[in-house]
Amino acid sequence: MDMHCEQAQPQLLEYLNNELPAAEQARVQAHLAHCPDCQEELLALRQVWHTLGTTPEPEPSENLRPAFYSMLAAYKEEVEAAPTFSLAGFWQKCRALLAPGPALRLAYGLGLLVVGLAAGYWLNNGPKTAPATADQQQLAALTTQVEQMRQVMLLSLIENPSATERLRAVSYTKDLSGPNDKVIDALLSTLNHDENVNVRLATLEALAALAQEPKVRLGLVQALKHQDSPLVQSALADVMVQLQERRSVQPLRRLLNQPGLNQAVKSKIEESLQHLSNGRPAAPSTSEPYHETDYSPQPDSAAGTTV
Amino acid sequence: MLRVKAGDVDRMGLLFERHHRKLYSFLYHMLGRADTSEDLVQNVFYRMLKYRHTYTGEGEFRTWMYHLARNVLADHIKKNRHATHHADVQDFAEKIGGGTRADETLQREQEVATLHKALGRLSADNREVLILSRFQELKYEEIARVMNTTEGAVKVRVHRALNELKTIYLRIEN
Repeated sequence: MDMHCEQAQPQLLEYLNNELPAAEQARVQAHLAHCPDCQEELLALRQVWHTLGTTPEPEPSENLRPAFYSMLAAYKEEVEAAPTFSLAGFWQKCRALLAPGPALRLAYGLGLLVVGLAAGYWLNNGPKTAPATADQQQLAALTTQVEQMRQVMLLSLIENPSATERLRAVSYTKDLSGPNDKVIDALLSTLNHDENVNVRLATLEALAALAQEPKVRLGLVQALKHQDSPLVQSALADVMVQLQERRSVQPLRRLLNQPGLNQAVKSKIEESLQHLSNGRPAAPSTSEPYHETDYSPQPDSAAGTTV
Repeated sequence: MLRVKAGDVDRMGLLFERHHRKLYSFLYHMLGRADTSEDLVQNVFYRMLKYRHTYTGEGEFRTWMYHLARNVLADHIKKNRHATHHADVQDFAEKIGGGTRADETLQREQEVATLHKALGRLSADNREVLILSRFQELKYEEIARVMNTTEGAVKVRVHRALNELKTIYLRIEN
């Protein structure tokens, strides 16, 4: 009689499931024995509780399992592909690194020390000896390679149907330290045969800069007879005076006798011939556009013999 | 789970096989929607992978699983506040109740169906403790850990929930 309904009722479920301590269990039982209300309550609870327990478990559809495994596979790929992108993964790595025992930590420490010493040693001694020469060798090799590439570019561009591209090819000769025969041949051929006056003028300019080469000189002299453009003719005559090239006198005279020669060119050539026989470079006249190019006098071995 | 945590992600398959039915049942009873519940099961397992470093190994795995499931559920409900819940509890009730069986079984099945209707009308909190304790068969102590509360509080709530369920059930019956 020491237990009231208010005390008993909250314990009914546990009583039902035998979850109360033995003493409590006995007290609730004693109360139930003479309390029909609580008996009824217990019956109702038991029914509900029991019915709940007999509920069939809902079945997930067949899609759930494959969906899970494909998610798992995708996750694995994601983690393997970019492990550092995941903060969780990164944190785990940190923990994994920190986790090892003292022996491993000591080993890490010693390892780092050795790496540090090695780096210091290398930094102190390395650059003074072997690596430096190796670097220079590498640089030299690279420079040669770039040079070769430029030559190849020039030789292929000079065949280009676009005049702009051919002009660019000609401009590459400036960057070449020592043009070989192939390049010189290509330039001379362009000077004599290119249909575009501007390209021929640019080529003439480029070749004039290379006049220390005997092959270039000879080529320029021979080019006189191939030129029909007044602009190129007078520019070439100027170059001849500049170079003090005696071998050009014959071709210039021949050019002078050509019928239908431009009057301006005619006087220009006459002037040049005079300068060539006098041994003085012609003063470039500023009135005509094709005189813009000012040829620097080349160190010339042939000039001495002609004067 | 500790092996999954250590990087053996394939072990997750084992955990899935062992627990996905119970997890699905929990979510299904909470939501009453089959398709959504499956999505959320997936979601819970994904979170297990993603947050596996938070698993301490203390307490049972399933406690942690239901903890995550509650969070997933809460997120889902927050996101779909306006969607109707328990749309197909009715379907489930009818599914259990249907069919031509012997009278006795039929009556029992109808009882279950009615009870489910009642369960659907419980408040989410009360429904949750009942599901966890009765369907998922978690101990009060485990439920307390899942819900971050005390064992005593869980006992009180289960008792209250069962009473409420009983009342609703009897009201539907009559």
